[in-house]
Amino acid sequence: MVRHDMRSTMTAVLERNTVVREDFATEPYELPWASEARFFVQALEADGVLEFHTEISPDGLHWCPLEDTAHHIDSPGLITWPVTGFGQWLRVRCSVAPGAAAKLRIYLVGKG
Amino acid sequence: MNVNDARLTKYNPLSRVLCFDTFDTTTHGWTELLGNYDGSGDLDTVDDHMRDFRPPQLSSCSFFDVGTHGTMSGDYALKLATRPHPGHTATGIRRLTMAGRGLVRIETHFAFKAEATVGHEAPSSVGWDGNRHPSESQFGAFTVATDICADGGVRFHNVIRYQNTDLDGEMTQRWMYPVVPEPTPRDHVEGKFALPYAADFTAPDPADWRTFDEKLELCVNEVPTKINWHYLRWDIDTSTRSNVELQLNDRVMDMRDVPVPPYADRYDTLENLLNFYFSVRTHSGVRNFLFLDSVLISVEW
Repeated sequence: MVRHDMRSTMTAVLERNTVVREDFATEPYELPWASEARFFVQALEADGVLEFHTEISPDGLHWCPLEDTAHHIDSPGLITWPVTGFGQWLRVRCSVAPGAAAKLRIYLVGKG
Repeated sequence: MNVNDARLTKYNPLSRVLCFDTFDTTTHGWTELLGNYDGSGDLDTVDDHMRDFRPPQLSSCSFFDVGTHGTMSGDYALKLATRPHPGHTATGIRRLTMAGRGLVRIETHFAFKAEATVGHEAPSSVGWDGNRHPSESQFGAFTVATDICADGGVRFHNVIRYQNTDLDGEMTQRWMYPVVPEPTPRDHVEGKFALPYAADFTAPDPADWRTFDEKLELCVNEVPTKINWHYLRWDIDTSTRSNVELQLNDRVMDMRDVPVPPYADRYDTLENLLNFYFSVRTHSGVRNFLFLDSVLISVEW
């Protein structure tokens, strides 16, 4: 088998212009080959506070938080955070404050 | 023989190999399909039924009960995964063009599964008897198809679909093909249709599908986490815009009488287009998965 010295990278668009008004989690995404990852959350519109947590899973069925850190967005813009030391499944859980709403794109980038 | 040669010797390519995609090294150009959008990059202008086909994943085929299953010949498969939403479809598309006309062959070794349900039971038309498993009827359909355009804008799709269950979840296990071309974003802009989220993007009306060949049982292997790799070979002819032959494991099916409807109107910007896609569609609302060990596309030109 030919192994490349150059690292691989892969970007998945997990949500695309998705309007959210209540709590949700992105679909399970596998990155078994990646040693590091990064979420990008782009709020095209935002009214109120949204809070994001990284969650990981051993099987794509059962989920736990990766860390205590929360990431917030309350206005249009792009936020990002790195993810390391995960099992092969990743997702982001979002808590939407009462009355809040947003239109989101969510990217997951893996590198290994 | 080097053991790695098995990656190729499990296939039977035509004389010129265009692509040999093994998913231990990236997704090899298999990407998510997305509908068209306007000149300002406004993704809200993408058709509802074409905006959420989900990104392909590189999967080690790991499961809750046995851990990592692995693939036929390596670490990673290309995995298409639907949302748990009835009718939702996931796609992986490969975009090529034609340097000639003639026989085109796509081969893959694939596995298909419904996601395991743990701690609750999802509706199923199949009961568990120690051999058959409810997940068997929670898988909807997978499709292999093309998008081809040439000769002054004549556009057509060769399409094959294995329908495991109908929309009511009853086992059908039939090969199918559509008798209409796929609705396009231009059709929508021209007011010819507007389809809702999770509509069947290949041909939305179930009445526009026909069966061919006999009922065919594939290898489910009893539970949702045992995956067995099936061989698929499909030949089409781009010089005659026709289907030729389909092989699934030991079953060879003559497709020469299976029609390939062209679009009535001509299309610009697509000259010599040669796209392939795999898709998987859930009918049950349980996530459906299609795993591709590898894909080989070869031609006779």
